[in-house]
Amino acid sequence: MTLPTRISISALRLALSVAMLLACANAGAQKFLKYEQDSIPLFRGFAVSTDLVGLAQLQLSDCGHIEGALRLNLHDQYFPTVELGVGRANHKEDEVTGLSYKTTAPYFRLGADVNIMNNKHTGNRVLVGLRYGFTKYKVDVARQPFPDPVWKWTTDFDVTGEACSMHWAEVLFGLDAKVVGPLHLGWTARYRIRMSHKEGSLGNTWYVPGFGKNDSSSLAATFNLIIDI
Amino acid sequence: MRNLFHIICCAVCMVAAVGCSSIECPIQIAVNTVYTVEGTLNDTLTIRSKRKNGTDTILYNRGIDLTKFAIPVSYQNPVDTLVFETTRLAAIDTVWLEKQDIPHFESVDCSALFFHTITAVRSTHIGIDTIIVTNPTVDYDPSNPHLYIRFKARP
Repeated sequence: MTLPTRISISALRLALSVAMLLACANAGAQKFLKYEQDSIPLFRGFAVSTDLVGLAQLQLSDCGHIEGALRLNLHDQYFPTVELGVGRANHKEDEVTGLSYKTTAPYFRLGADVNIMNNKHTGNRVLVGLRYGFTKYKVDVARQPFPDPVWKWTTDFDVTGEACSMHWAEVLFGLDAKVVGPLHLGWTARYRIRMSHKEGSLGNTWYVPGFGKNDSSSLAATFNLIIDI
Repeated sequence: MRNLFHIICCAVCMVAAVGCSSIECPIQIAVNTVYTVEGTLNDTLTIRSKRKNGTDTILYNRGIDLTKFAIPVSYQNPVDTLVFETTRLAAIDTVWLEKQDIPHFESVDCSALFFHTITAVRSTHIGIDTIIVTNPTVDYDPSNPHLYIRFKARP
């Protein structure tokens, strides 16, 4: 008969802990999201940026992306952002498995960043933000004909134009530093969360435009060249 | 310029960390049909089939006191023709397994595989009494048997 008492004490402790945590988080979030009252106007212009990591990947490896972003600057504090890009993978005949994988498709991410620096108007920013991303893409996977391992009949493995899609979210942390004039450089580290996905009859996809390699790693990064307008 | 240096150093470290890749293929990559035997087969069972070049290949060799067994499925033959040979019953039966083959892809690092949907099964009835499909989907999962087989009692 002591078990229910223990459970209720544990539950009470847990509930209190969660409530205190939520209270702290709520207070922090209110401070963090609070609009800073000063003489600086709300609308502070736009910024356009491009991700150099995706471009480097595209040049140096078999997959990558070209991405541009448009960011609204509200009071140097809030930054609603649209990121548009085209992701491409062209993996030709893997040395071990012989598989080729090809896809090219556009994608977008929508979201906003918040500058959490104490003095928000220096031109340097420490950002935290959220993104929602979506892409609809087609995949070609092929392999040269190979023998069935048991029966030895020649086997074709060729999937063309398999329609796939993915919705995902990203939580990001980044730095953005003023270099000269309107030019900024910055990076973001992103934690990706796959929300829903459709891969048809294929099973899985290897590279998803905008999301990157579809493996167990949840991390991604961007290095941005930003110009304030 | 100090800002710029810090930003670039951080970015390089981060990209290096994120850029690490690993090969992630499933540990269980065998795609087999799992048969459950009614009761226990008090006999010795060998299953074979014919290769492309006409030679025999043994898929299951001298299994005794079986309650369950698993055998591979051909990648792209529309019908697998399997010969079941039981020693005590002295019976040789042919089983025809009709199926659809579905290419399955995990990653470019993992071998090309096929999953299957069993569309029909039939057999001769010298030693086999009944064979039926219980689960038509053949994939990595061996926990849900695909076929149920009952052998005739010894005379």
